Amino acid sequence: MAARLSSFFRGIGKGFRHFFMYFIQGDLPTKLSYLIMGAGCFLRGQIVKGLLYLAVQAGYILYLVNFGAAYVAKLDTLGDVTQTKEFDPALGFSVIKPGDNSMLILLYGVFSLLLGVVVLVLYLRNIKEAWENQQTIASGGRLPGLRDDVRELFNRRFHVTVLSVPTVLTILFTVVPLIFMILMAFTNYNREHQPPGNLFTWVGTENFSQALWGNPLWSRTFLKLFLWTMVWAFFATFLNYIFGILLALLINQKGVKGKKFWRTVFITTVAVPQFVSLLLISKFLHDQGALNNILQNLGIIDSPMPFLSNGTVAKVTVIIVNLWVGIPYTMLISSGVLMNIPEDLYEASKIDGASGAKQFFNITMPYMLQVTTPYLITQFVGNINNFNVIYLLTAGDPKSLSLYQAGETDLLVTWLYKLTVNEQNYALASTIGIFIFVICAVVSLLTYNRSKAVQEEDRFQ
Amino acid sequence: MKKRIVSVVTALAMASMLAACGSSSGGAATTTAGGEASTAAATTEAATGEASTAAETPAGGEASGEAVTLKVWGPQEEQALLQEMTESFKAQYPDKNFAIELGVVSEADAYARYSEDPAAAADVFAFANDQLRDFVNAGGLYEVEREGDLAYINNEINALAVDSASLDGSIWAYPETADNGYFLYYDSSVFTKEDVKDLDSMLAKADAAGKKIFMDVSNGWYIASFFIGNGGVLALSDSGAQECDFNNEAGLAAAQGIQTFVESPAFLTGDDAILISGIQDGSIAAGVSGTWNAEAISEALGDNYAATKLPEYTTGDGNKVQMSSFGGTKLVGVNSQSAHPAEAMDLAMWLTNEENQVKRFEARQIGPANIKAADSDAVRANIALAALAEQSLYAVSQKDVGGNYWTPAEAFGTALENGEATDLQQMLDDMVSQITQ
Repeated sequence: MAARLSSFFRGIGKGFRHFFMYFIQGDLPTKLSYLIMGAGCFLRGQIVKGLLYLAVQAGYILYLVNFGAAYVAKLDTLGDVTQTKEFDPALGFSVIKPGDNSMLILLYGVFSLLLGVVVLVLYLRNIKEAWENQQTIASGGRLPGLRDDVRELFNRRFHVTVLSVPTVLTILFTVVPLIFMILMAFTNYNREHQPPGNLFTWVGTENFSQALWGNPLWSRTFLKLFLWTMVWAFFATFLNYIFGILLALLINQKGVKGKKFWRTVFITTVAVPQFVSLLLISKFLHDQGALNNILQNLGIIDSPMPFLSNGTVAKVTVIIVNLWVGIPYTMLISSGVLMNIPEDLYEASKIDGASGAKQFFNITMPYMLQVTTPYLITQFVGNINNFNVIYLLTAGDPKSLSLYQAGETDLLVTWLYKLTVNEQNYALASTIGIFIFVICAVVSLLTYNRSKAVQEEDRFQ
Repeated sequence: MKKRIVSVVTALAMASMLAACGSSSGGAATTTAGGEASTAAATTEAATGEASTAAETPAGGEASGEAVTLKVWGPQEEQALLQEMTESFKAQYPDKNFAIELGVVSEADAYARYSEDPAAAADVFAFANDQLRDFVNAGGLYEVEREGDLAYINNEINALAVDSASLDGSIWAYPETADNGYFLYYDSSVFTKEDVKDLDSMLAKADAAGKKIFMDVSNGWYIASFFIGNGGVLALSDSGAQECDFNNEAGLAAAQGIQTFVESPAFLTGDDAILISGIQDGSIAAGVSGTWNAEAISEALGDNYAATKLPEYTTGDGNKVQMSSFGGTKLVGVNSQSAHPAEAMDLAMWLTNEENQVKRFEARQIGPANIKAADSDAVRANIALAALAEQSLYAVSQKDVGGNYWTPAEAFGTALENGEATDLQQMLDDMVSQITQ
């Protein structure tokens, strides 16, 4: 890690040294390319390439002048002009003059800066290319023409051609919004600071300190929901896993007739879209739902069982209902793995007198764990963010007086949703989002790097 | 050489994939010649269609004038009605070239959708009046200032609806309907007109008949009727902070009254679906709900369908108190970011004038906010609207209720329903501290 870091910084140092060295040792076209992008190309005959560089530079400057610069300039305060109105006697009402919109300033400001980074990379590349061209000519070589460059893009540098479109799209539709959302956590963008009539601004790490200890109600809610999220993720992951394996083992047992039939029966729960089954189960378990009605009519209970309306019971209910949704998937995956365990291992252990339980714990489980640890990690992280099951089953209810805008079964991620949609507290929601990311990253990196599947990757092959 | 072939094939595959992406997002580009031809035909058709509509507009109005584009948001159920109303609006202004675009956004979602991007939101939109404060705080609305508009609203709209559209002494939107509230539906074969005046006698009678009385107590909107009925106040201070006194003595007495109600065997909570199915199968004999359920309930009860104001309930200290309620309206607002505010105001006026309020009642049985429109035999004969009008004497406007109220109030109601209430005073204190934070 340290070596990687130091080589990174050495690389930057080298880049800076070259940047100045090229300028000092460069000839006129090279020197000119520091000011006019592409000069080192079109002055030496690479017209199209040079003009493309120039177009990038001109385009970015035009973009900044006409549009971007106004937003970038206000990025430090996120706007200072509020909406005003002025009475117009001819019209008979006060005409509203729009002010700054902090959200648009943040969005376009971030976008313009990122675009600037892209242009900067191209700028540095333009200098390097000018220098390389100078060297080629000095050593008497021929500069590659447009046709050579295009041919290169389909040969040696084919990866650039293929990867460029997905990279650009990812940056545009994933990275830019992500940075925009992350930055929101450092502002006071909430119900009291709504555009277009109000401005919001930077507040540093205030949201983080408020959520962790500053605001007792927020921090209590965060802590309680965090603990429940972990409990939920643990049970939802491992109960599904174990029951899935047991089910697969049961079906795989010698002597079980109609293996394919049983497998199909359990897979039908997958065939029904998850949200449909969840919504139906939610109605089914309701205080006045079918299950309570049946139990009451049979005389088993006097009053409805609070499957979804009592906090503790509801927590157990969601974990159990999740088994219904999750077990078939684990069963499918583990069926495949189980069939791959070499039969001779079982036979050898049988000769040595091992019981079924011993075989399970000493052969089946170690083999399964080795292969499925990465699957378990993705499941665990997926369950931390399991919006569907919680939101469609209980919507986080029952609400609790000790929680801020949340209910007993709310996960951090459903709380985040409520904060955004019902409360318009975007700043706090973004902060919670960052916390969730940190939790997921830590959990998955730690367990993934320590897992056997990764450490003994080469041995397994 | 082999490598080059591979790379060319990959490039072709990539290109075709990109082309596929392009066609699906573009929605029109097709690779086959036949497909292209048909698309081209469709385009021409669309073009001629456009041409004919474009030709109609100036023909109908002689002078084409400046083009004014207005976007209007309304609920799904009202799209056809809005279409009709905007057409008649265009006919009113033959000298202007209006292009009016309708969008589906329900009154309940208007603020949430508006706040996503105010500049791209509709110029004219309908919203429930409990969002008024959010809209005004966000600077999202044009104030109603034109003298003609003010005269219409002040003179021809009922006072409660005008109040629901006003804030800080100004009127901010055009009242469209006065129907957002709740009252008591009941089965007249179970309860007499005397019974439904008092909750205790209703509970006793329902219990004896083995039937239920429905009220969604775990919902801030409904549970407030007990507190406010007993003198509780939900208000906003000058600085915009929520004030709530539900944890004083009167509030405690109200809470004890609620507890008695929810612990009665005849009490039933739930959502609209529970209410309707209970009325249909006869297990629910009375329920608290609003006009949106009128049709379903009247169908289920037939001749026994009846509705009236909410009953009186008994507080913890033994007093009989008339239950209050939230009375709400739907308003039409003009976006502060509108490029054509004057025309947008004209349209908002048009959508809420007497003629169109009558139309809305006829099409959707929605109670008009216009006094003359509401003063017709048809409106008076509507049982649900009559009950709403009766209850409106005890109703308070919802506009002073901030966003922090709903979740804690629901939590309080949930705890009562589940019988988890241990220390009512402590719970009320918790609720109020969350509401007022």
